[in-house]
Amino acid sequence: MENRLKEEAGKLLKEGKVDYIVGYGKGTVNLRTSPLITNKEEDLEGLVINPFIANNLSRYPVELKGRVGIVVKGCDSRSLTSLMQDKKVKREDLIIFGVPCEGVVDLKKLAGQIGAEIDRVTDAEKEGENLTLQVDGSKKTIPFRDVIFDKCYGCEHPTPLEYDMLLGSEVAPNLDIEKSLERIKELEGMDAQERWNYWKEQFSKCIRCYGCRNVCPACFCERCFVDVNMPQWVATYATWQDNLTFQLIRTLHVAGRCSDCGECERACPVGIPLRSLQRKMVEEVKDLFGHEVGIDKDAPPVFSHYEATDPDEFMK
Amino acid sequence: MEESNWEPKVIGFLCHWCSYAGADLSGSARLEYPHNIRIIRIPCSGRVDPMFILRALQNGVDGVLVSGCHPGDCHYQSGNFHARRKFAVINRLLKYVGIEPERVQFSWVAASEGPKMAQVIGEFVEGVRKVGPNRLFKDEKKDGE
Ligand code: SF4
Ligand code: SF4
Ligand code: SF4
Ligand code: FES
Repeated sequence: MENRLKEEAGKLLKEGKVDYIVGYGKGTVNLRTSPLITNKEEDLEGLVINPFIANNLSRYPVELKGRVGIVVKGCDSRSLTSLMQDKKVKREDLIIFGVPCEGVVDLKKLAGQIGAEIDRVTDAEKEGENLTLQVDGSKKTIPFRDVIFDKCYGCEHPTPLEYDMLLGSEVAPNLDIEKSLERIKELEGMDAQERWNYWKEQFSKCIRCYGCRNVCPACFCERCFVDVNMPQWVATYATWQDNLTFQLIRTLHVAGRCSDCGECERACPVGIPLRSLQRKMVEEVKDLFGHEVGIDKDAPPVFSHYEATDPDEFMK
Repeated sequence: MEESNWEPKVIGFLCHWCSYAGADLSGSARLEYPHNIRIIRIPCSGRVDPMFILRALQNGVDGVLVSGCHPGDCHYQSGNFHARRKFAVINRLLKYVGIEPERVQFSWVAASEGPKMAQVIGEFVEGVRKVGPNRLFKDEKKDGE
C-alpha cells in the first residue's frame, strides 16, 4: 500500500497533475503519525499508511490553493464529500487515494491496555486480529479490536465512498453500532438535571483553546462566531457557561456535516467527550431528515434544503 | 426575589408578518395573555439563530418562544421551512443536554390567529412555571456569599 502510494503520488507531482500531496508521515513520538503536506517529490519517501493514521486530512484542501492529491480513510472521505456539497472544495481539484480502513488505534486506549506510556512502545504491527507491540524491549500481543476508537466500532463505510485510487481491497462495515454509541446511551439513561450537570462539569475543564474547532473539517468558517465582537456572542475567556454555549452552537453548526470522524474529541487537551455531542447529532439528523453525511456529493447540504413534509410534531 | 413571588419571565421571538400581528390582534380583541412574555419582533422565523435562544437562557430568562408563519405562508416563501429544520435539531440537542423541553417552544401562528397566539403564550408560560426558575447557567453559591 505504502509503496504504491509513494509511487503514484510521485507521478502526480512529477506530471504536474497536482500541486500538493496531503498524506500521513511519521510523527515525532513513536507510533504517532502526523499530516505530511508537500509539493516536493523527495518528501514522499516519508509517507506512511498504518493503523495509527488518525488525522482527518480533509480540511487541508480547503486551505491549500491548487490541486491536491489526498489520502483518506472511510470517515475522512465522507467529510471531504460533505465539503464538496458545501462547495468548499471541487471534486475536479482532487485526486483521492482511498484507504480501506480496519479501524484506527486510540493511543489513550492503548496506553491503558498496556499500562505504560506510549513512548515506551517502540514498534507496533497489526497481524490479523491482533496488534503486536514491542514494549520496553519485550513482545506483547493485544486484540486489535480492544484499542480502536469508539467511532470505529460503528463504522458503516470503512471503505471510502469517493476515490480515484483505492489502496487495498474493500473492508466490510463494522456494525457494532451499540458499542459505538455506548457513552451516548449512558447519558440518555440519566435524567435531565444529571445530564446538564454532567456537561456543566465537563465544560468547566474547557480552556477555550479552540482545538476542537480548528481540527474539524466541518468548521470551515473564515470568521467563527466566537471571534465576532459586534455583537460578542460568547466571552472570549473561559467560563463554563460560555464554553458550553460555544460548544452547543458549534455542535449545531456542524450538524449535518459531521462525519463522526472524532477529531474534535481527540484534539481536546482536557479530555471532554465531545463525540458524545457530535455523534448524537449524526443520529438525530439521520432520524429527522434521513440524511447521512457525505454519501452523495451532488445532494444539497441538509440545512440549505427542506421538504414540505419535514417533521413538525414538535411545533405548536 | 422570594421563591413564592416568582413569576416566569419569558421571551417571544415573533415573526413580524404573522405571529407578531397575531399577538397584536389578540391585544386589540382584548384577549388576555400573561404579561410574563417580552416580545421581540423578528422579520421572519428564518432569522432566528440558535444563539438567540442560548444567549437568552444563559442571561437568565426562564423560557424562549419562537413563532412564525404556517408552512406555506412565509412572507419570504421558504424562511420557515428552513427554520423548521434548524428548530428540529435545536430541539433535540437542547433536550439531550438536559434543558427542560418546557423552556423552549416553537409554534406557527398566523396574523389572523389572535386567540391561538394568546393560547400558545398562555400554555407556554404555564409550562415554564411548572419547571420553575431557570437556574441552568447559574453558578452554585459559594460559602460566605
Ligand atoms: S465535529 Fe468532531 S467528529 Fe464531527 S466532523 Fe468535526 S471534528 Fe469530526
Ligand atoms: S463553530 Fe460555527 S462559526 Fe465557528 S468555525 Fe465552526 S461552524 Fe464556523
Ligand atoms: S478542544 Fe476542548 S478545551 Fe479546547 S476549546 Fe474545544 S472543548 Fe474546549
Ligand atoms: S415571514 Fe413569517 S416565518 Fe417567514
